[in-house]
Amino acid sequence: MIEAFRSLFAPPRHLILLVAAMWIGLVLAEKRTQKHGVTKEQLNNIVFYGLFGYIIGGRVLFALNNLSAFSQSPLSIFSPNPDLFDPTSALLIAILVGFVYGQRQKLSLWRTFDAVTPAFAVLAIGLSLSHLAAGTAFGRPTDLPWGIDLWSTTRHPSQIYELLASLFIFGWLWFKKMDSPPGIYFLTFTALTAGARLFLEAFRGDSTLILGEYRLAQIAAWVVLAVVLVTSEKIKQQAGN
Amino acid sequence: MRKILWEINTNTPDMKINKRTYIYILILASGFVWILFSADRSGTSTSGLIPAPQQGFLAPDFELQTTTGETVKLSALRGQPVLVNLWATWCPPCRAEMPSIEKVYNEYKEDGLVVLAVDMTYQDTQSNIAPFVAEYGLTFPILLDQSSEVGNAYQLRSLPSSFFINRDGTINEVVIGGPMAEALLRTRVEEILK
Repeated sequence: MIEAFRSLFAPPRHLILLVAAMWIGLVLAEKRTQKHGVTKEQLNNIVFYGLFGYIIGGRVLFALNNLSAFSQSPLSIFSPNPDLFDPTSALLIAILVGFVYGQRQKLSLWRTFDAVTPAFAVLAIGLSLSHLAAGTAFGRPTDLPWGIDLWSTTRHPSQIYELLASLFIFGWLWFKKMDSPPGIYFLTFTALTAGARLFLEAFRGDSTLILGEYRLAQIAAWVVLAVVLVTSEKIKQQAGN
Repeated sequence: MRKILWEINTNTPDMKINKRTYIYILILASGFVWILFSADRSGTSTSGLIPAPQQGFLAPDFELQTTTGETVKLSALRGQPVLVNLWATWCPPCRAEMPSIEKVYNEYKEDGLVVLAVDMTYQDTQSNIAPFVAEYGLTFPILLDQSSEVGNAYQLRSLPSSFFINRDGTINEVVIGGPMAEALLRTRVEEILK
């Protein structure tokens, strides 16, 4: 079944999963957005501008980082090839564009984050499915009976662990009573996602290591978790909870 | 008695905060211990020695004949950066990217770049290859995969597929689908030339 799924969504078709997740996530976020004090139009606009910033920013910054390559073939900047892209810079630009839009619309930062959270949670499910389809974010070798054959050996099904965690997080958030102060909904998603990454990274076979043996993603997730816990505590204290 | 005291304490706002703070500290301490416990001392994250058609792994070896009758073995090219391009004459994006590959190859061959264009002959018409090579003026070696040896080893799912291989034989980048833009080719080639 996993092989059939991988064949069906083999790269570059795995990107369909991300687009589908984005669309489903946005539809679900729209259903709840009023409860966070953000209109459907504002939600759609912030996602549209953010996405626009993501696509344009990712391509432009990739070109700027590889100026010598683009100076010899400047028309490559219009290439439909998705590999000409810098995803980290794209994400930063998307956040910046979303932030600027939010400021101009005088939107509450925390309420806006809360409104977009269901979209983020579904996108995380889509991301884990795309990892499974592409065979990326693969696990380390294992003898466990639930190991999957991938890249010449039996490995932890790290993409399935990731999928289960993201489904759990989405379920938790979707059925959670929304009576918390603004920001807590988003921070809960961030804390659960960082916690899941901290735990599941241990089963990955493609971790970037620092100091020879420590997994960089775990350390980053731990820092994010710490910041989120402190921030949510402050918000709860301010709200008198 | 202890239970009663705990309940009294947790009923006051300050103690509620303390209880939550303790939980947070416990979570962060457990996370820290988990980072130490799950450190990769055995090097399982290092996939460089296992052959697989994926970034970070050793490029699967193959030995094929070229259209001119020479034999090329990938592992014999260790020490040189290699671009393995899987293609077929009937595939439009393969056709579209060939001029860029030829151009970039000519620019970087003095730096040691090797391009191996592996025709998926088992799903192509061999008689179409020579006119194709002549039409595009290709100067790099064209290898013939008659028995799907490379197609299987590289788990071919889409044409064209390109594998940028470092001097140590590990795969630096995989580009599935095409056509590859000239700038993309240059950025990837410059990476493997380092």
